[in-house]
Amino acid sequence: MKISVRQICFILLCYNAVSKMLLYPTVLSHYCGRDLLFAALIDFGVQAVVVWAVSFLCSRTDKTFFQLLEGTFGNIFARIIYGLFALFFIAATIVPLCEQKLYVHTIFYDTVPSLLIFLPFFFFSIYAAGKKFTNIGRSADVCMPIFVLSLIFVFSMSVLEIKWSSFMPVLKTPVKDLFGGALGTVFRFVEPCYVLMFMGHFKYKKGDAAKMTISYIGGALTVLLFLFTFYGIYGDIAQSRQFAVSKISLFFPAIDTIGRIDFIALYILEIVMLFALVLNIQLALHCVMKCTGYQNRAVLSLAVNAALIILLLVFDHGFNNLHTFYAKWMWIAFAVFANAIPVLAWTLRRKER
Amino acid sequence: MIKRFSVFIYWAIMIALIALFFTNDYGVVDIHKSAIIVAVGIDPAGEEVQVTAQLALPQPSQSGENVQYKEVQGSGLTVADALNEINSKTGFYPRLQFCKLILLGEGCQQHELFRILGCFYRRNYSELTALVAMCEGKAQDMLAMPATVNPETYTAVQRVLSEELAKSANVSSVNLKDVAVSNYSESEACCMPYIQASKPGTSQSGGNGDNVGGESAGGGQGGGSSGGQSGGQGGGQGGGQGGGQSSAQSGGSSSGQSGGEGQPVDFTARKTAVFARGKFAGLLDEQQSFAYNILKNNIRLAVLPCDSEGIHYTVGLKNTTGGVKLKVKNGVPELTLKFKANAQIQGVKKVMQPEEVMYDDVVQKNVLRGAEKAVEERFDALIKMCVENDCDILGAKELLHKYNHKYWNAFRGDLLTRMKVNYDVEIISHN
Amino acid sequence: MVTLEKHIKSVKDVLTSEDIIVFEFESSKGKKFAAIYADGLADKQLIGELVAKPLKAAENDANAEDVKKLLASPEVKDCKKAKDAISEISDGNVALFIDGESDFYIIGLKNPPGRTVAEPPTQVTLKGPREGFTEDIKTNLGLVRKRLKSDKLKVKTVKCGERSDTAVALVYLDGVCAKGLPERVEKQIAAHEIDLVPDSSYISQFISGKPRSVFKRNGTSEKPDIFCAKISEGRVGLIVDGSPIALTVPYMLVEDIQAAEDYYALSYRSTITRLLRIFALIIGIFLPAIYVAAQLFKIQIIPFQLLLKVSSSVSGLPVSPSIEMFLTLFVLEVLNEASVRMPKYVGLAMSVVGALVLGDTAVKAGIISTPAIIIIAFSAICLYITPDLVETTTTLRWIYLIVAGSIGPFGIALFTAFLICYLVTEQSYGVPLMAPFAPVIKNDLYDSMVKANLYALKNRPSALRSAQKVRLKTK
Repeated sequence: MKISVRQICFILLCYNAVSKMLLYPTVLSHYCGRDLLFAALIDFGVQAVVVWAVSFLCSRTDKTFFQLLEGTFGNIFARIIYGLFALFFIAATIVPLCEQKLYVHTIFYDTVPSLLIFLPFFFFSIYAAGKKFTNIGRSADVCMPIFVLSLIFVFSMSVLEIKWSSFMPVLKTPVKDLFGGALGTVFRFVEPCYVLMFMGHFKYKKGDAAKMTISYIGGALTVLLFLFTFYGIYGDIAQSRQFAVSKISLFFPAIDTIGRIDFIALYILEIVMLFALVLNIQLALHCVMKCTGYQNRAVLSLAVNAALIILLLVFDHGFNNLHTFYAKWMWIAFAVFANAIPVLAWTLRRKER
Repeated sequence: MIKRFSVFIYWAIMIALIALFFTNDYGVVDIHKSAIIVAVGIDPAGEEVQVTAQLALPQPSQSGENVQYKEVQGSGLTVADALNEINSKTGFYPRLQFCKLILLGEGCQQHELFRILGCFYRRNYSELTALVAMCEGKAQDMLAMPATVNPETYTAVQRVLSEELAKSANVSSVNLKDVAVSNYSESEACCMPYIQASKPGTSQSGGNGDNVGGESAGGGQGGGSSGGQSGGQGGGQGGGQGGGQSSAQSGGSSSGQSGGEGQPVDFTARKTAVFARGKFAGLLDEQQSFAYNILKNNIRLAVLPCDSEGIHYTVGLKNTTGGVKLKVKNGVPELTLKFKANAQIQGVKKVMQPEEVMYDDVVQKNVLRGAEKAVEERFDALIKMCVENDCDILGAKELLHKYNHKYWNAFRGDLLTRMKVNYDVEIISHN
Repeated sequence: MVTLEKHIKSVKDVLTSEDIIVFEFESSKGKKFAAIYADGLADKQLIGELVAKPLKAAENDANAEDVKKLLASPEVKDCKKAKDAISEISDGNVALFIDGESDFYIIGLKNPPGRTVAEPPTQVTLKGPREGFTEDIKTNLGLVRKRLKSDKLKVKTVKCGERSDTAVALVYLDGVCAKGLPERVEKQIAAHEIDLVPDSSYISQFISGKPRSVFKRNGTSEKPDIFCAKISEGRVGLIVDGSPIALTVPYMLVEDIQAAEDYYALSYRSTITRLLRIFALIIGIFLPAIYVAAQLFKIQIIPFQLLLKVSSSVSGLPVSPSIEMFLTLFVLEVLNEASVRMPKYVGLAMSVVGALVLGDTAVKAGIISTPAIIIIAFSAICLYITPDLVETTTTLRWIYLIVAGSIGPFGIALFTAFLICYLVTEQSYGVPLMAPFAPVIKNDLYDSMVKANLYALKNRPSALRSAQKVRLKTK
């Protein structure tokens, strides 16, 4: 088998968490203020159910999602759906990619560098995207301890600064804003699709669905803890603090003496962020391969990354507009691809175990 | 084909990297080209702001540190403009990441606070950990004054704003984040230390019977009633640069800046500038600042002068707990200022009899009551200042919003005038 | 009937050099013999004692079978082809030809000049065995056999090198080593034809499969105790004649942070030293790069007080931080190379020149700064904590330096991600290079970054897919 359940669990935990530590807390603070945890809970709750649904589906069949589609609707339909998923994964990559670029410019450089400095990312992306699921899984194995250690380091530097009172009064934000926040950030949730794509590529054992769901919940709890820390430190001004993960350890008492040592942890965490970002591209490539039947990974990787470079150049100066568009409209696409289709996969014809 | 292409790409990357490595010629502002700003002073000048950046300029040295500190001025409509001017003047790219002190000149009292601080707040390249303080006179002058304790002014100023001093209730040290959080809270009020400079051996205190300024300072002893407007004058009036700017705010101290040109000065920050809705609302004198600090800060050891039966005592307060609570009882908001501490006599202005010394560890009840009374008087003065200036630095509105939210709409407009204030002060003997 | 002259001619036609000695003698009954050997390789004294003496004293008119019985040497091999004789003579053995017999004997009296068994200079230990491999394959196999007296120990010798005809011994434990592994290794060696194999590093490249990689694909050891430990875990060992460095496959990166002493010391202490090694490794590779990246792109990483000192030191330098570090590292590499190559007597002078003239004077002249020297020196010390990885780590240090000086800290993160992505799929004979970290193999983790006590290591490393899993049973 190409990937193991443990590796999927790691992906659902650390990639899930790490991809929501840059602008997600800021945006959520903007929408929901001190009730941001509840908006996040709504999103994570829904996604956890979908993750469970897909994981549980894995227990019922050995087939991949493509094979299920093929078995039910035929090869052409399966290819079309995978083509759409490829587009979806590319769409799901654009905002995090632009976000990552801004983050890199801010925390890795003292003065604003040019876009060029971010472009080497695509050398890595082209290389990594051409790799198979085995590589994705093993990368997750390496990323997990890196993620845990660096996050513990950053959290431990920030925990003293948290003020519980920042969250008072509880649940006074209008429900409309809460759901607005949840809906406006839903485009950051693609984890059910990961499980859907990995379906049939790992050996399911009893209890694995629970493991995967618990891992996802673990990732969700990490994000909630992170949101709690971030808002607990900044309170009402949280919405103006971008790239939350780089801001929470700022007030550690010894920072004047030891310097911004947290940056080292953040640079290490960046490695995990890069893998989390590349996962979408890897899956987009997987879908393109299935859709086209063309098996040359190197060429496809070049093509997918070329598309992303073009999109990045287009949106380089229009990130705010892009973000607004995603927050306003893209929830529909994400609701369909990341929630509805994974659940509807249950209706596909499958050979029972 | 692919293999050939990847070999080509590999070499292309290597050549590009090596070229970049050896040229460094793509706008990198490296350590040679940047100026490390350690402190910034801001003085409004008409519509413009004048920014004085204290720069650390490392000098060539084979062994250890050799740094010169220089002040460079720039002006513009915004702080960012002024910083840009500094850049164009010096040729160094001004980096704010190491700026640990933002000093607002007295002139900033006339301006909206976040018009000035906004630049630091907005930038991703400056830290919210920078200490913020207002100073007497012009910030530019204060940054140029040599200090007695430290060769660099910014270090001397930082010392008087240190966390250690804050833990002794001597200063209400705040950083940019604290100011922003308080200013944008429901209370819309924030405060920052008010720094004064004085010649060594003179006092900046307003007296009022406080220990402030030290017993040796020659002024200020006696009295004991808080808020008293008399009090000994501190340092010599108006000696220094920009000196003579008196601040006849509550507390009544009107000390001038001291020290002539080049003469080392001492800095103190025992007064507190308060802001409401982003505008300067007044100065807390030493007693009010003390009251504010014991309520808001985590105090380790505070020194409280008090009188009992006509004798002046200096009491040390340990194991303190202080805080502000707001409850709405029977439709009336009640603000409770709570302070508990263990007292220990540190000094008495009388000759001790040998037989009294053995009981010195146990503080007599009358002294404890005197201390409680002194604290309550300081609370009184603080509350009075807040109400008179409609400045909610104790965060009553925030407490109402957070913990009594259902009354928020009812009291948000006039809470400070409608609330009943209670004191829960309990000082017990340390032994 | 082949005459003795014909035998001698067949050898001498090929081995024409003068150091090929033909020693002819007769028995008391007049039977003629010729012992042909390479001068300097075979033991002349033993030829006299074990071959000539008994044959001269022989009273009967011995045929080939009788001669074999008369020979006092324990290692006597029948041979028929002249080609084999030539090969064995070149190897140092003695070919004994008998007049009138077509068959001849190869007598193992090889005694090439070589070192005695001594402590290897690259793997010195405070605790544990101090024996090291020598250049002689037989001695080395003896050292192995001394430790592994099992009947399951298999030694298979293959030849490599068209001209050198170097013997390569594949050593493994039958029933412990993964099935088919020795055959795969043998096949891999056999797939290469080369003139000369002067050292095991040649074989190392043959069996790696990826000779262009910065990362090696086999373990190396100069110590028989480590070699045996690795074999007993299920690996295949390769001892190459003429090389004191034995190879083992499959290989995992984690092997090189394990030292022999870890297994002889208290497990807590071993864990601490292993973590220290990893930490030193990371510092050694990254420190120069991070220092350059910090100076060029993100000075905030440097604590303020230190920054002032660094700024003082670098201010006025004629070169950029990246070039300064490049030059310093370049000087270190030159000194390093020179110190290895230079005669010992010049070594002292060189250290004076290196440390005082180059270091101190360069700082005083304001060409390089003191922090740069400190960083490079510390980095060098850190990397030599894991000597087996030095080739890889010093290369990586250069790459990281170039990346940091051109792209900055993001480049460092990006290249690290790239390395991880590359390494996680790389394998050595089916065993992931990054095992037991990627994929995570729980049991093997006890002997990776941490070194658990012996009882926690009851099983052989699962990553090696050993045929026999359990190695420690308690009764």
